[in-house]
Amino acid sequence: MSGRGLPLLASAVLAWAAGGFASRGYSSPFPPPSEMRVPASGATGDMLALALGARRLFSDLWFIRLMQYYGTSEFCEHEEAAGDPHHHCEHDNFGMGKYPLFLPLARHVLEVDPAFTAAGLYGAASLAFNMERAGEAEELLRYGLKYSPREWKYLTMLAAIGYSKAKNPSAVAESIAPLLRDPDCPVMLKQQAAFLNKKAGNYAAAAAIYADIAATSRDEAYVKNARRELEKLSRRARRP
Amino acid sequence: MTACAVSFSGVEKTYKRPRLLGAEYHTAVKDLSFELRAGEITGLLGLNGAGKTTVMKLITGLLFPTAGQVRVFGCSPSDVAAKARVGFLPELPYFPPQVKPAAALMYYGRLSGLSGADLSLAVESAMRKTGLEPHAGKRVSEFSKGMLQRLGLAQALLHKPDLLVLDEPVSGLDPLAIHDIRGLLAGLNSDGRAIFLSSHSISEVEKLASRVLIMVRGALAATVTRAQWEAAPGGLETIFVEAVK
Amino acid sequence: MKDLFLARAVAFNSFSESVRNRFFTLFAVFAFTAVYASVLAGVMAVDQEARVLTDFGLALIELTALAYSLFGVSSSLLKEAETKTIYLVFSRPVPRRVYLAGKLAGALLTAGLMLAIMGAIHLSLLAFRGFGLPEFYAWALAGTFLKLAVIISFAFFVSLFSTSAVSTLVISSIMWTLGHFAAEARFMAERLPGFKGIVFNVFLWLIPNLQLFNARDAAGAACALGPGVIVPAASWVAASYLAALWLLARKEF
Repeated sequence: MSGRGLPLLASAVLAWAAGGFASRGYSSPFPPPSEMRVPASGATGDMLALALGARRLFSDLWFIRLMQYYGTSEFCEHEEAAGDPHHHCEHDNFGMGKYPLFLPLARHVLEVDPAFTAAGLYGAASLAFNMERAGEAEELLRYGLKYSPREWKYLTMLAAIGYSKAKNPSAVAESIAPLLRDPDCPVMLKQQAAFLNKKAGNYAAAAAIYADIAATSRDEAYVKNARRELEKLSRRARRP
Repeated sequence: MTACAVSFSGVEKTYKRPRLLGAEYHTAVKDLSFELRAGEITGLLGLNGAGKTTVMKLITGLLFPTAGQVRVFGCSPSDVAAKARVGFLPELPYFPPQVKPAAALMYYGRLSGLSGADLSLAVESAMRKTGLEPHAGKRVSEFSKGMLQRLGLAQALLHKPDLLVLDEPVSGLDPLAIHDIRGLLAGLNSDGRAIFLSSHSISEVEKLASRVLIMVRGALAATVTRAQWEAAPGGLETIFVEAVK
Repeated sequence: MKDLFLARAVAFNSFSESVRNRFFTLFAVFAFTAVYASVLAGVMAVDQEARVLTDFGLALIELTALAYSLFGVSSSLLKEAETKTIYLVFSRPVPRRVYLAGKLAGALLTAGLMLAIMGAIHLSLLAFRGFGLPEFYAWALAGTFLKLAVIISFAFFVSLFSTSAVSTLVISSIMWTLGHFAAEARFMAERLPGFKGIVFNVFLWLIPNLQLFNARDAAGAACALGPGVIVPAASWVAASYLAALWLLARKEF
């Protein structure tokens, strides 16, 4: 009978119409797979990220990997750090760890999920202020801006890096101040701001940031350091 | 003249089994023509593979004829109007093991278009008629084969069908269960329902049916009335053996 | 109206059978264990713990619901045919289109219940770790449900021509993967020259773009699902339903 094939025809028309409608109304917010410059060991993970539509999950994993690579504790007592190749302390001169894979790993987090702003800021701040690789930090931020062109946090960070290159720590501290109000601000950036404020003699501002870290961070090392710094600042304040 | 419940005219059913290259065809039923009269018990006898189940499935619309025409109460078997008047008990019916009989019957009652008080009454009546009432608290997983068969019969009775199609209704049952089911079917027939049953048990068919169709290799070999087999020496069994030989 | 009543009966029966299935409990226990085990990853992410717990949980919820749904759908019709339950249904005045709609609705109800249960487990974990309800959470679950609806209806279609539950599972999983690659595949197709490109494009239009509903992944960008996504979702479900109906109407039991 001629009407028997009608459901099949209707099915094909519906599927094509839906496909056409969807392809017109949809533009992927993600970088194409061709942009994924990934170490061979992570290729399977990236395939899964795309195949399962789980970019956020896999960018989280890459971020954890990045933090493990860089070392979670980024500051410590000098005597404890002796012999630690990953040591980078926050005292008089910042750690100058080499971490050659830091930029590719940080960039890869954004390649998988360009909306992971906190990871972009963490990576850029670590590169610019801890490792003094401002060029790489700018490259990372520019990549982030490619897919999040209106991300003010990246622009603010770029400005801060500019001041840092101009050796103007107080301007750096001032420019990153708005970032600190964001609940998603990486704690290491807060730490950086507190340190710069302390260095510039803005003890009250530094104390406020340390107090915020002590109250909000889940990173024990940062919390301990913040408490230690708060104690030092309060001793300084009590001194005649 | 007695009304016709089912009519087969020149029906053929060929099964197609797809193979890697092409397909394999098997004709289960060929050039089959017969009628089932309303209100009559008709038996269907045949050896394994004779096409008995195919005939039953053609009546219930589970299979479509390759050629010829099947009519059930004047409609196509696929027509909901025809299905509403037919109750079917397949061989070894399955029910989810975790449910109680009333719950299973409620579901099939709903599918037969019953609802509300009518549904509850139909379930209650079907359970009473099939002797399931004392087992209402048990789950299907606790049922014996005989009880499952009773439940199968109960689901076929829910919507008070004018025609009952029963595939091996007493297969595997103990003598007491067979006796009960025979009594039940006779009672249903006395209410005016037509019954079409297939069986391997010649004696059962002999006791219940007023007419018997004997199928051999997909074709109708003989139609025998009660008067004919009662008059024949050796009864229905001899007629059947001669027909299938 | 009568059809609706029948479809509801089939849907609730299918739903209650799925929920009573011991695998349902097993999957729920697995989801509970997996979601709570993601605490380890959360702890490693330190200050990004909330994000990591949310992402892990939502992905696990989606994959568990997908696995259970496909597992159920791929064997549903096959099992009914094997156990002859379908004889008791199709020998009754139940149109096949109504039966199929009921089965589909039952599978969607099951998927919805799974999402609700696992969502509650996940939110309890987030609360236990001191985090509130992520703002995109409801959108993410809604998107997951739409993806599941599309793939479940497709699996019903496949189960009607595939020879085993395993092949239905495999084909549907491939479609799930292709659905997430749809945008990338179209990107490539648009770069193919001439007739080849047109043919490839037309073929690709048959593949549902599951990224459209992937609010879970787009959480950082635009997570809200606009009314525009309902149209393609409904169309893909309807397309699979019609194709399945075309097969079911011809199927003999």
